[in-house]
Amino acid sequence: MNPYPVWLVAHSVLLEAIRRREIYAIVLVATLLIAALMTVDFFQLEGLTKFYREVALSIMSAATGLTVIVLAARQLPREFETRTIYPLLAKPIGRLPFLLGKLLGTMLAAAFCFALFMGVYILGTLYLRGEIPWGLFVQYVYLQFLLLLILAALGFWLSMLLNLDAAITIGAIFFLFASQFTTMTSYIYDYTGPLGQKAILALTYAIPQLTLLDLSEKAVHAQFWEPLSLRTMVELTFYGLFYAAVYFGLAMAWFRRRPL
Amino acid sequence: MSVSVPVLEVEGLVVEYGKGARRVRAVDGVSFRVEPGECVGFIGANGAGKSTTMKVLMGFLFPAAGTVRVFGHKAGTVESRQRIGYLPEVALYYPFMKARELLELYGGLSGLSRAQLRERIPGLLARVGLGGKENVLLREFSKGMQQRLGIAQALIAEPDALIFDELSSGLDPLGRYDLRQVLLDLKQKGTTIFFSSHELTEVESLCDRIVMIHKGRVLKQASVGELMKPLNQFEVLFATANGHEPPEEMRAHDLRRDGDLWRLLVNDVQEYPRMLTTLTASGADIRRTASRTLSLEDYFIELVRDAEAPR
Repeated sequence: MNPYPVWLVAHSVLLEAIRRREIYAIVLVATLLIAALMTVDFFQLEGLTKFYREVALSIMSAATGLTVIVLAARQLPREFETRTIYPLLAKPIGRLPFLLGKLLGTMLAAAFCFALFMGVYILGTLYLRGEIPWGLFVQYVYLQFLLLLILAALGFWLSMLLNLDAAITIGAIFFLFASQFTTMTSYIYDYTGPLGQKAILALTYAIPQLTLLDLSEKAVHAQFWEPLSLRTMVELTFYGLFYAAVYFGLAMAWFRRRPL
Repeated sequence: MSVSVPVLEVEGLVVEYGKGARRVRAVDGVSFRVEPGECVGFIGANGAGKSTTMKVLMGFLFPAAGTVRVFGHKAGTVESRQRIGYLPEVALYYPFMKARELLELYGGLSGLSRAQLRERIPGLLARVGLGGKENVLLREFSKGMQQRLGIAQALIAEPDALIFDELSSGLDPLGRYDLRQVLLDLKQKGTTIFFSSHELTEVESLCDRIVMIHKGRVLKQASVGELMKPLNQFEVLFATANGHEPPEEMRAHDLRRDGDLWRLLVNDVQEYPRMLTTLTASGADIRRTASRTLSLEDYFIELVRDAEAPR
């Protein structure tokens, strides 16, 4: 497959994300929220740095995750609604490179959003004279991208199945409650019957455990944690890529046979 | 000897919308061909199946039955779209892009290099009446300007064939004139053009051939010459000498009794003076002559009414 058409479509998605200014608004609101929380004065400086790290990373992860879900879920419905898809797919580009371009563009926009957040995070940490645990921090950023890739692929698939509002809502629920789901299933597993256990196991495999890809807690309490081993990182990479590929494959299967 | 492949080849095309009891047949057994270098108009009332057929040609819709080939390739494949420029019926273009960026995107997808695009874009925009608008954001474009840009994107890769759905939709008279000039120029250069339009005078002036469609079926397809031939009507009202029968060769035309007189209708502009000479020579008394030219529109309306009439 020629990568150039994929890049051209991705570039158009990135251009939209940069020019529509929504990302700046999200980053600004999140930054103001973090700044407001920093004024809480019942911590010592060390406590405040940790508190800042924890709050900032949580807000940033949530804001970027939701941004990616919205960006991904609206790509195709908006193309259908405004009919911009017709002149585009009238060119010699297949539906697969087109969708791959959309996915890549969404990830580039996510990277842009994330980069802005990281700028805020690093500046904030330096302002509080805190240290950044670079090893864990780089791993956190990398795994966060894998998580965003799963969310983007899921967003595309949901937008093929549901209307835009429903796709965004389900995607957001999936993202925000993933950790609660994991915790809940591990608690109730022992108390359910064999059928229930099988159902929980099936759900555990069907739904990716996004918490596995979230190193924010470790990055906050970096003094207690070593960076993950290379082997774990490779395994997590395969884990993330597997689910992203499954969701993307489902999105493509729907999109391929969809009349326009 | 090489046999030229038809640019468009539609055979027994059936397209259906909906499922089960709600299934609607939008196109019902349409067949036609467009040969290289031809300019073919595709006309029909709203809902006749024009856009649906064009969408199948571009691979946006899938046929329920029939075969559709573009340059010999199955419609919808990347190869089938390699040499086609398409203008959709209604399309918006990314409002966050500048005109130049949009053409770079479409040109790039068509396989043009950056250098080719740099060289081509300013001239192309000028050609469609958007000269100097390269760096204007499309959200600032009017509907007519968007349509002109749509034409530019269809022409960017200098395709061998153009498929335009609603040729001059959204264009003012000046825009239509400009577009006609562009198409005439392309036609002269041998570009194949297949377009739908409600402006039948436009169709009449541009096309070599016309395919008329109604309720998903082809009503008629013929060259413009053939179609227009019966549209020139010459009428002669005459009385024969001594109540004799009119000369035998009159019967090759539409000859009817009209009271005591005879009414002759001739469609051929060259036959008409010959018939007058024959009548005069037979001693007929010519009471009245009249001529009228039906427009393609009149003819189309007549055909549609005929198709709608209860049998």
